[in-house]
This record gives sequence, structure tokens and C-alpha cells, in this order.
Amino acid sequence: MTVNRRALAVLAAGALVLTGCAKGGAGGSAPGQASQSPSVAMPTQAGESKQAKVKAGTPQDSQGPAIEVPGSKKGGTVRVIASSDFSHLDPGQIYVSNNAQASELINRGLMGYKQLRNGDVLVVGDLSADTGTTTDGGKTWTFKLKDGVKWEDGEPVTSEDVKWSFERLYDPIINQGPTYVQQWLVDGDYRKTYPGAYSGKRLDTIETPDAKTVVFNLKSAHPDFNMALAMSGYGIVPKKHTMDKSKQKDYDKKPVASGPYRVVSHIGDKSMDLERNPHWDPATDPIRNAYPDKWRFEFGVTAQQSTDRLIADSGDDQTTISINGLGSERIPEVVADGELMKRSISGYTPFTDYWVINTSRVKNPKVREALIKAWPIEAIHKLSGGDAGWGHRASTMMSPTVPGFRKFDVWGQLDNPEGDIEAAKKLLAESGEPNPTIVYAYGSTPLPGKVALLVQEALTKAGFKYVGKKIDSGTWYDSVGQLDNGFDVFRSGWAADWADGSTVMAPLFDGRLIAEGSTNYSQFNDPAVNSAIDEANKLTDPEARGEAWSKIDEQVIKQAAVIPGFYLTYLDLRGSKVWAEMDNWWGSTNLKTAFVAE
Amino acid sequence: MATVPLAGRSPGQIAWRRFKRNKVGVACSLVVACYFLIAAGAPLISWLYGKNAEERYGYKLLDASGYPPPPTGGMSAEFWLGIEPGLGRDVFMQLVFGIRTSLTIALIATLGVMLMGITLGITAGYVGGRTDYWISRVIDVLLAFPGQLFLIALVPVVDAMLVDPEEATPNSLRFTTLCIVLIALGWMGSARILRSQVLSMREREFVEAAKVSGASPRRIIFREIMPNLWSPIIVLATGILPALVGVEAGLGFLGVGLGPDVPDWGRMFQEGVQYYHLDFPYLLWPGLAMVIFIISFNLMGDAVRDALDPKSGRTS
Repeated sequence: MTVNRRALAVLAAGALVLTGCAKGGAGGSAPGQASQSPSVAMPTQAGESKQAKVKAGTPQDSQGPAIEVPGSKKGGTVRVIASSDFSHLDPGQIYVSNNAQASELINRGLMGYKQLRNGDVLVVGDLSADTGTTTDGGKTWTFKLKDGVKWEDGEPVTSEDVKWSFERLYDPIINQGPTYVQQWLVDGDYRKTYPGAYSGKRLDTIETPDAKTVVFNLKSAHPDFNMALAMSGYGIVPKKHTMDKSKQKDYDKKPVASGPYRVVSHIGDKSMDLERNPHWDPATDPIRNAYPDKWRFEFGVTAQQSTDRLIADSGDDQTTISINGLGSERIPEVVADGELMKRSISGYTPFTDYWVINTSRVKNPKVREALIKAWPIEAIHKLSGGDAGWGHRASTMMSPTVPGFRKFDVWGQLDNPEGDIEAAKKLLAESGEPNPTIVYAYGSTPLPGKVALLVQEALTKAGFKYVGKKIDSGTWYDSVGQLDNGFDVFRSGWAADWADGSTVMAPLFDGRLIAEGSTNYSQFNDPAVNSAIDEANKLTDPEARGEAWSKIDEQVIKQAAVIPGFYLTYLDLRGSKVWAEMDNWWGSTNLKTAFVAE
Repeated sequence: MATVPLAGRSPGQIAWRRFKRNKVGVACSLVVACYFLIAAGAPLISWLYGKNAEERYGYKLLDASGYPPPPTGGMSAEFWLGIEPGLGRDVFMQLVFGIRTSLTIALIATLGVMLMGITLGITAGYVGGRTDYWISRVIDVLLAFPGQLFLIALVPVVDAMLVDPEEATPNSLRFTTLCIVLIALGWMGSARILRSQVLSMREREFVEAAKVSGASPRRIIFREIMPNLWSPIIVLATGILPALVGVEAGLGFLGVGLGPDVPDWGRMFQEGVQYYHLDFPYLLWPGLAMVIFIISFNLMGDAVRDALDPKSGRTS
């Protein structure tokens, strides 16, 4: 559990533009590769907090068909506007959430995210008939494929396809997706141990006793293995159609469908058309409602353009949804307009933004506490546009979408959002360093510059000697990922990779992972936390795991290794003749349940 | 018998008389003078007004999304031009000090640009030959340079070279960098025009005569050629200054201008564009101020040109 994705939230021109995810390698995993793709992040209405829960489903939950949406209708074409094309549709290459969302209409995996009518999200078997079974605490996992799951050519999905799909991930041609499972299935560096499917060699840790059964023999116990399989990067591909390695680039644009839709045409950076896959059986699918007959994706529409089109709501735009998020310039007026808000889609994204305190430089805990106490979080909140701008004020590291999320407020940040300068002064007096120097790094776009002003004002008032350093936003994570970066405090953002707290707490706070370019930006190393992480990883009960991760969250925050910032929120509009809801896992507009209303 | 003393008028006096007859020109130069007075007297205005440009006086009045009370953007007897969205600083003070910053940079840069343009333009035109060839090629290369990209690239490099990593980049350094780069990328146009002026003048009889009578090149340049260049120089300068105010404005937005703690006219305008849907006054005031300034300055420039060189402009 060493590689994770992170959001590069570049605060641009008063708003937040999430420009994709980069993966930093550590502890013997794949080298870091950056994949840039404009993703989304934005707002909800003030005060409204849909606290959807994400948790493990039961085998019953894994049975199709998907739960009906009241008032839904079949047929028609739903249009989707997005700022950029989907960079990958080959499951192996998918990491970022906008790719994953589109992929869900076309590709299926063993596991997937099923959204309930109350907004909660269950991790259920998708191609798999149940959520996987393990008898030895998470080392050996058995999955049984459902009956009647087929590719778009009518051939059944077999266990051989599953084994092949995972073997394929080891080939160097697959280099953009997640790398956890590959590592779990072999000893040593997975890129070196096994050359991948196209080498002709097989991976003996995946067994296929019959055409419907797959057994994974992991090298160590991973009780959350089934949760990890819900990542789109672990989608299944047909062996028959992916044997030719040289055709991968074509497959990446036009995969062979196992889901309800197949790609009819996909013109790069311009458009993509989907139509029904006749061999998809709704009775096998607990996740996808697949109401429309067709989908038309239009690319190259910026957030501001899509917002203006959806506000105007004319012609084809009435059946259009957007996955851009609102253009930041329009947020306040949309939020203020009751009529428009009836067509809004809003909720939490999986991201938490926070300020890292570099514990290798700020060693005195009292000084770190003073930083948190003095932090002008509400001023920053207002500056960035309030709840609908950056997000809701946070007091934990795990976002409300992570299982086990529990609200606690160790430092009284929620009760005292303007910052408590007196308390900070007192803490500094106790610390023995009444005027410590704090080097604050911030991005080169306008908003971080203004945030820095607020920080400077607050820290100076509390008695800190403030030193601001402006860093190029484009190379932000390269700069702050260095061990001797010379910064004391800087902003960062993180989202869980799958529905388990391990994907937040371990990569950010496991002291044994500290290395050049690692994601433990706080360089936080506490033996108690390290062993708590190990203990939590051993737990098999999802409830107990969630609780354990939340406890570690609190443990870390008590040691003032970070300043919690915001739970990022999403806000977008839909056309008046299309219905769509929030996707509470991806934190964006839900494509799986959308339908044309008239 | 009363005699009207027949006094000859110098060219300067003639130009001045012509200028005074141009009512628009006079009005515009008064407006421009006002701007420079405001810029110079900003601390005094701040003292009289009772607020400075840094403090977030109006923060408590902002709503949850950081907007001042609509529709006036928080304009009141206390905040004459309203409150800055997001931070809550006083817009009037931001504008006054912003004008001061922008005009100072533009003025220094204009002086620098003219100095370089004059030196290199005259050198190229008068010396000719190889020198002319190389100066002209340098001009060609620099004109082909994407100026703003160069600025974005250069500023962090200069910072890294001059600033200790443990210290913040001081605004004075940014200020200097901006001026230097604006000058380095702005002198070519004037150099080219002056070069061609000198070229045509070099072959004229009065220069030839001076040469024949044994005048030194220094004397020829300063006593024979330069006096004939003052009109184009002044006309050029009155065109460059407002243009530089605009360039400086754009840089603030691109993140290579001065920090947000230094009030900046251009940045206010750019931010106004972002907030105008719900807070129009915040765009209006800096926008209006800039439009008035640039129009006035350009009209004043026209009037100056008409006065100095009536043949080249409109009939007056």
C-alpha cells in the first residue's frame, strides 16, 4: 500500500482546478508517473452536507438488476460535456476519476460501486457473483463470475479473461493505472519479477480451477483486497481481443464492452458516441441502470462554457449533463438562484485538502499546535468562495466519503474558525521558542498568493517570523516531495483510492515510507502510529477497520502533523430534460443512473 | 509711436502656443497630471481618508462566499468605492496605491526604454555599417521574442539567483526585475524609429556642413541631430507609457508581477473580471480609472505630436 494518487489542486484565479493525479512510487513499487487530466472539484450549498456512507456490500447486494430510480424512463440520448477527452478507456490504464466514470459505462470489473437511493455507496460484486471470499484473513481470495456476463461479441466472460487481464497489467505497455494488486501478487519489485502477459509466461499466483472461478493467492494478507479491485484500473478485458499488443493504443480509445454500452465512434479530443451493447444483461448488473439508448460526449468545453450552456438550457443542452463542475466565476450566482439550484448536482468529492506541517523541520509540538491555533481557516474559506468554492471546513484527514469517517475536532478549528491568536501566543510562550521562523510555500497562481497573505497576517500576529516562498504551481509536488525542501508549511490534497482508510493514512503518515518523493509530506514518523497502521491493516471486519483508521487519523492530528483544511465539494448543473444525481464515490455527476426525463 | 516689439519665437514657444490652443489636449493633460498627483500623494490621501491599503477593514462585512454586500460592492461613507471581495480590503485605497505602483513602474520603464532606444537607435543610424547591421539584427531577434513568456520564465530564475532559500523574495527585487525586463523587451520599437530618423538626417546638408567644418561626431550628434529628434522622442514616450501600464497590468495576473500584498492597478482590473457578475463595482472603478487614464494619455500624446510637428498630424 505504498502508491497512491494525489490531487494536484492548483488554486487558479479564485477557484480550484484539480488538474489530475500523479502517482508517486515508494517502497519498491512502480516509479512515479504523472498523468495530467483536468478533473473536477467544486461546491455544495452552504450548510447542506450529504454525508453519504461508503461501505462493503453483501452478496445479495451484488445481484442485478440495479435499483430502479423512481420516475426513470428508458431511451433517448444523454449528452455529456467535458473539458477534455478521456485519456484512457483501456481499464489497465485508468486512474483518474473522469476516465473511470466513462469507463464504468463500458467496462466491468470484478467489483464496483453501487449507489443506493439514499446516497450511500456499497462496494459490491460486479462481474463477480459476490464480494469475494477469503478463509485465511485476506491472503487467498476466491471470486465466482456471474452467469450470463458477456462481451459485446456475445462471448462469455471467463476466468481466463480475468487472469489474462491481471497478467496484462505487468507488461510495460500498461503504465498509467494503479499498481497495488500487481505488487501484492508477487515477491519483490513486480516489474522485475514477472514480465507480463505478452511474454508468454503465466502468473501462477492467479488460479482458474474452472471457467467461472478465479483464485488470487496474495503474498501477504490484504483484507481490503476486494475493495481495491473496485478501482477501474482493475477492470477486465477480453483475452481474445487484446492478444495483439501493438493494438493497445486503439483498444485504449475503443475498448471491447462488457458493460451496457459500446463505443461506436471516438474522435480524439472532439467527441465519443456510445450505443447499447446488445449482449449486456441487466439482470447481471447491480450497478448500472443504463436508461438512455445512446450517449454523446462532447469534449473541449471548458467549465465556464459548460456552466453558461447549462444555465441557458436551450435546445440539445436540455438533455445535457456536465462532468466539469461549475466554472468558479459562476458559483455564487448559481448558488443564489433557487431555480437553477433545482437542476444542481452537488456533494463531496473524495478529496481532503490540508496544510502539511513538515515535522522534520518544525520539531517542537507546541509550535505545531500554535500554527493550527493561529491558522485563519475561515478567512481562507471566504476568500476561496465559501462552501461552494473550495469546500467545507475540515477537521480530519479522512474525507466524509471514506468508510469509518468520524467527525472530531481536536484543535477546536470548527468552533473557532477565525483562529485563536491568543492561544497560539500562549503555546509559543510555553514552547520556549516565542518567535520561530516559519517558511510557508505557496503556488504561483493568484489565489494561493492571497491565502499566503492571510497566513502571513495571522502568523505574524501570533509572533511567528513568517517567510513566504512562491513555487511554480506546475511542479508543486516535485518541489514539496523532496526531503530537504526547506519548507515548513504547505498545502496538499489527497483522496482515497478505494473504500478503505488505509489508502489515506498509510501513504501520508507511515514513517517507514519516508523517502525522496514519497507522499508522507509531513515526514511524520511515530512508532505508535506505524504499529497502529500495521494493526489496522490486519483487521478483516470492514467496520472495525474503518474505526481503526479513524483512530489513527485522530492520533496523527493530535500530534499536529497537519492543519486540516477542506473537504472538497462538487457542484454542477444538468439540463432541464435530463435527470442526474451526484456520484458519491467519484465525487462528480453520476452517469450510471442518469436518464432522459422527457 | 508705440512699437510692438518684434520678438522671434523659439520652436518650443511656437509648439507651446499650438498646444494651448488644443482644448482637448489641455484637458487631458490636466487629467493625466491629476493621476500623477494621486500617485505621488497616495500616503497623504491615505492619511486624510483614515485607512491604508493593507488592512482587511471590511472582512466582517463579507458574506459566506466572500462577496461584499450587493449591489454596490459595499460602497458606503466608510468605504467610498466598496470592499475588495475575498479579502475585505478598502477598494479606494487599493486603487490609489495601485495607481501609484503601476505609474511608478511604467514611468521608470518608459525612461529606460527611451534611454536605450535613443542610445542604440542613434548609434545604429549614425555609425552605420557593421554596428548598424548588428544592432538591427538584435532588434529583429528581440522583436521576435514572446515578451510575456520571457517574463514568466525569467522572474523565477532571477529570484533563485538572488534570493536565499530561507528568505522570501522581497517586493523591491520583483519591482526591479519587472522594470529591467520591461525595458529589455520594450526598447526596440523606439530604437528602430530613431535609427531611421537619424539615417535620413545624416545625409542632410546641415550635417554635411558640420562635418566639413570639422565638428566632432559628439558635437554632430548632440548639437545637430538630437535637437531634431526631440519631437519624435516625446511622441514615442507618450505612446509607450500607457502601453506599459497595460503590460504591467497583465503580468500581475500571470503571477509574475508584484505579490498580492502590493496594491496593483492591473491586478485589480483582472480580478474584477472574475467577480463582475455579482460585484460589478469592483470591476467598474479600476476599469474606469484605467480607461480614463489611457484615453487621456493618448489624447495628450496626440496633442503633443500635433503641437510639435503640425505637418505630420491632423490640421489644427
